[in-house]
Amino acid sequence: MKKIVTLTINKEHYEVAVEPNRTLADLLRYDLGLTGTKKGCDTGDCGACTVVLDGDVVNSCLVLALQADNTTIETIEGLSNEDGLHPLQEAFVEKGAIQCGFCTPGMIMSAKNLLDKNGNPSDTEIREGLSGNLCRCTGYTKIFEAVSSQCSDNQGGSNE
Amino acid sequence: MSKFDVINSYAPRIDCPDKATGKAIFTDDLSKPGMLYGAMLQSPHAHAKILSIDTSKAKALEGVKAVITSKETGSVKYGVSPARYDETMFATDKVRYVGDEIAAVAATSLEIALNAVALIQVEYEVLPAVLTVEDAMKEGAPQLHEAFTNNLCAEVHQEFGNVEEGFKQCDIIKTTTMKNKRQDGAFIEMQACIAEYDRRGTLTLTTSTQVPHYVQRTVAMVLGMDVGKVRVIKPYVGAGFGIKAAANHQELACCFLARMLKKPVKMNYTREQVFMYGRARHQFSHTITTGAKKDGTLVALKHECYLDGGAYTSFGIATVYYTGSLLAGPYKLPNMSYDGYRVYNNKPACGAQRGHGAVIARAVFEQQMDMIAEEIGMDPLELRIKNMMNTGDTTCNDLNMSSFGMSECIEAVRDGSGWDKKKGNMPKGKGIGMACGFFVSGAGFPIYRSDTFHGTVIVKLTEDGGTALVYTASAEIGQGSDTAFAMIVGEALGIPLENVRLASGDTDMGVDLGAYSSRQTLMTGHAAKEAGEHAKQQVLEVLAEQLDTPLEDMDIKNGCIEFKNQTPDFSALRTRYIKEHRGWTDNPESEKLTFKEASRIAFLEKGSIVGTGKYRPHWLGGKFKGAAVGTSPAYGCSAQVAEVTVDMETGQITIDNIVDAHDCGKAINRNSVEGQMQGSISMGIGETMHEEVIFNDKGQVLNSDLAEYKIVTAMDMPPVKAIVVESDEPNGPYGAKEVGEGAIMPTIPAILNAVYDATGVRMNELPLTPERVYTAIQAYKERSNA
Amino acid sequence: MLLPKFEFYEPTSIQEAIDLKKKYRGKAKLMAGGTDLLVHLKKKLVTADHLISLAKIKELSQVQQAGDTLKIGTCVTMSQLSKSAVIQEKFGAIKTASDNLGTHLIRNRATLGGNVCNASPAGEALPSLIVYQAQVRLQGPEGKRKIPVESFFKGPGKTDIHEGEILVGFQLPLPEKNYGAHYLQLGKRKSSEINVVNVAAFVEINPADQTVKTARIALGSVAATPIRSFHAEDVLTNKAPGEAVFYEAGEAARHKDCQPIDDFRGTAAYRRAMIGVLTKRTLETACKLAMAQ
Repeated sequence: MKKIVTLTINKEHYEVAVEPNRTLADLLRYDLGLTGTKKGCDTGDCGACTVVLDGDVVNSCLVLALQADNTTIETIEGLSNEDGLHPLQEAFVEKGAIQCGFCTPGMIMSAKNLLDKNGNPSDTEIREGLSGNLCRCTGYTKIFEAVSSQCSDNQGGSNE
Repeated sequence: MSKFDVINSYAPRIDCPDKATGKAIFTDDLSKPGMLYGAMLQSPHAHAKILSIDTSKAKALEGVKAVITSKETGSVKYGVSPARYDETMFATDKVRYVGDEIAAVAATSLEIALNAVALIQVEYEVLPAVLTVEDAMKEGAPQLHEAFTNNLCAEVHQEFGNVEEGFKQCDIIKTTTMKNKRQDGAFIEMQACIAEYDRRGTLTLTTSTQVPHYVQRTVAMVLGMDVGKVRVIKPYVGAGFGIKAAANHQELACCFLARMLKKPVKMNYTREQVFMYGRARHQFSHTITTGAKKDGTLVALKHECYLDGGAYTSFGIATVYYTGSLLAGPYKLPNMSYDGYRVYNNKPACGAQRGHGAVIARAVFEQQMDMIAEEIGMDPLELRIKNMMNTGDTTCNDLNMSSFGMSECIEAVRDGSGWDKKKGNMPKGKGIGMACGFFVSGAGFPIYRSDTFHGTVIVKLTEDGGTALVYTASAEIGQGSDTAFAMIVGEALGIPLENVRLASGDTDMGVDLGAYSSRQTLMTGHAAKEAGEHAKQQVLEVLAEQLDTPLEDMDIKNGCIEFKNQTPDFSALRTRYIKEHRGWTDNPESEKLTFKEASRIAFLEKGSIVGTGKYRPHWLGGKFKGAAVGTSPAYGCSAQVAEVTVDMETGQITIDNIVDAHDCGKAINRNSVEGQMQGSISMGIGETMHEEVIFNDKGQVLNSDLAEYKIVTAMDMPPVKAIVVESDEPNGPYGAKEVGEGAIMPTIPAILNAVYDATGVRMNELPLTPERVYTAIQAYKERSNA
Repeated sequence: MLLPKFEFYEPTSIQEAIDLKKKYRGKAKLMAGGTDLLVHLKKKLVTADHLISLAKIKELSQVQQAGDTLKIGTCVTMSQLSKSAVIQEKFGAIKTASDNLGTHLIRNRATLGGNVCNASPAGEALPSLIVYQAQVRLQGPEGKRKIPVESFFKGPGKTDIHEGEILVGFQLPLPEKNYGAHYLQLGKRKSSEINVVNVAAFVEINPADQTVKTARIALGSVAATPIRSFHAEDVLTNKAPGEAVFYEAGEAARHKDCQPIDDFRGTAAYRRAMIGVLTKRTLETACKLAMAQ
């Protein structure tokens, strides 16, 4: 039986009726049209569906929509605004950290959450903070460059 | 300083702002009004006769709109090579692997569709299955296809020069065997498609593909429609690596259902279905013998290979030829023989994957190069330089190296890695290794025999004169081709990249064979250049008339008209332009006549300015059977050095770093070139270290998810130094050639050579799991102690 | 992929959860983080008409120190454990295990209770819990009980949990002085790994003569459940730590204690050999930590 969930996504308030077997990923994509969040496996292995749920990154394919009741969610759509791209998104574009782009929204959400919690992660911390987001195109090299360019130590200067 | 204004730079890609913000649309992001959901029934058995199929219960389920089997669809054979069409949309008499398609359902929801699939009752007579090359070739083995006895899908026998005579001149002869494991493409976007059929008889398929063109032709053939009535649209695609380079069953079933029901139908593979569909790298078992003189000169190579093909041919004919043909370079090698066998068995079909057919052969051969170098006491890098082909050389099997920066690549990685200091001086457990490789810049011939152009491009100037619109049916699948072609058109027209807008991936936009065999930069690039130049020519023609200046004295650069001699008085033109643009805010102020003005005037004189471009390679290759495979207008080359640390107690390998140099001709966009190099290396590392599709004795994939099928994660990727080496390819647009696949060629052998350097152990089986390395080290220790 | 149809409950008290479980019995499944259960439901490996989430029961998500014991609620996530001060300070082998489970995304949802209830022989946290002598706290319609985690596992996916019972958490004695512990796992790549083998060791040193007073070693992925390596422990007891002793302990674990099988992740022979290496290495670190105190 459907139940009503109330949640805040990218600062907007939503009230939706969902079946208990609906995942958060499917709610976002198919019910709310927030298709920036991708699905690459549906089993929590690839990270393409990464969103921030109450401050932590999760695989939204492994969260029930009902579990998201009364939570605050950030998706890729919430990062850019009318003034332009988020600096991290800008860095991904500038550094060539995007190829097919399918892992990108999840990758950026993980990277943003990492930087939100630790403004100056080490190289190892960056790798760990992205370890659940698989990318088959880039070999991660330019992704690391993009993320480390946004570390507080590297702001305004070049990295490496 | 580059002599170019747009290309040959480091440009942010035009598709990336949308991809970074989640706005970029992939197939599954789309839905259509009234859309139905499709699902497929696939065989649970590796080999079985279908005795009967009862769809009545499925059809009776509320919400089910159609259930189709071969009874409804017919059994038109299709495949990749017309010479070997051995697949049908649905199995008719028997199923040949776990996952063979039997039926499809369309329903009002995915849930109903899946429930209906579960209600289809199939009566099988299970047949004995063969799951390995060895079992499939045994006498009396169960046969997959009647027409192909002994399960032999294809065999190749070639000899160039005289191998036997060659070996007689050799002082050193090395024979080694090696095998890899079946791979999966492991792109992150699972295949998805939506088909629609309008009441005027046009079928539109939106699909996650690398090759809209081939999908269009296959759909038309299988559904019995005119090619012109089938439109294939490729939205953004979450990569393909070769696996999405042919029509799949889902696309065909989806089209059939949409045409039948006159409603949009959407279908998606699950990750498990991606594995069941397969079509990725074959398992190759190589035996290679290489002979050299004691001064290191290579003389002869004898090569035998068995390919574990799976249940159908897919790209297999091309694969089995590529496996042999691409060993003829990059070293001078006068004598080469090849015997290749592709064998059917009851597993999903293998197909093409990055470095098609050639990757493992390269891994064996490049290790033998090191073995020869070691035996004669020569630096392996020097041995390679000694034998390297030169620009203009042709291999024994007629592949012409019209540009060849291979030696420059070797020097670049020598410097970049500190090779001279490190080689021979690595501490215990650490090793350094190198290897070379090369690859085609597009296949010399289309997959079906035809004189077709391989690519066409249209450039249309907007009526205000400000923007060039580029239309191409080529396939951006992540590699950056959209940006490359926009840059090429900008360069050809003489306008900045920001004034070029591009649409691609739609068969209505022209013919383009798509993203495979590293062909687009060179081939579509040529067409884009020609289209841009054609449009420019038309603008300049109008200008020549209006300004009474000879056309050859004018050019367009950086969005302005350049006059070779004195600048004529263009004030009348400017006044006309400004009048035309009354109320607009873009009145030109520059001292130079702008492209925008010229282009607007051209429109006023001639209507739409449309430039067209096309490309097909000149006739390439020799006259022998299979001579076409391996031909290309140009070859990219690559050298790599890998450093590793081996934990001698556990067999765990850590790749400490990789230095890669690639000759891509003239780089169009260095950003994308580096990206292809780094991405190739990551895939090469995965294949070397931990990727393998594992089957149980029933032919089921045991690791059909991305937890157990292990691609490289952010934790595994070593630092990579990507050095772009440029040559000037005479057959490439602005001198450009490939980078997408050549860069994976040296990765595996470079790592293997480094592992040998660290351990003294030659590994002859991939992937290098800790267990495999540990076992080899133990065996080596026992041999050394004996 | 779709989840099967089920009804979903989010009780806010343990009693409420027990009542729901009692009501639906075998047709109900308990869910903590859901990172395995939801996957298994999607893949149709398990079924459930009723799904009871424990995540809203506040007390189950807490790490609490009370005197000389530490209580960890069943729904405490791996990330929470990694960040917990007391875990970092006193239970290094649990911290390492939580750091290494799955990926950073999984660790934000996967729970200690879930890892234990899955009872995978390769479960990351299990060897560490065993060497720290954790007790499993169970609560059901019949009341509460506590059993050592070591005797909780009965086979792959099988535990001593009774029908209607809920694993509410763990109780661990706070280690005193002169101890060290470590955890190591071995897989094919460096993240998101399913272990080929894993080993935890806890060592207490006798400060008077610098010999090993107590050693507890637990091995994963080499039997139907994680197991103690008693022979290796015996090798160490009352001996001065050193390379030779560690090696001997590793050999004892390898040859006397483990009973691995072949599967597609690794052969029994390799698993045995690696138990030897990892046992030696965990002991090296554990002893070093113990002697540094």
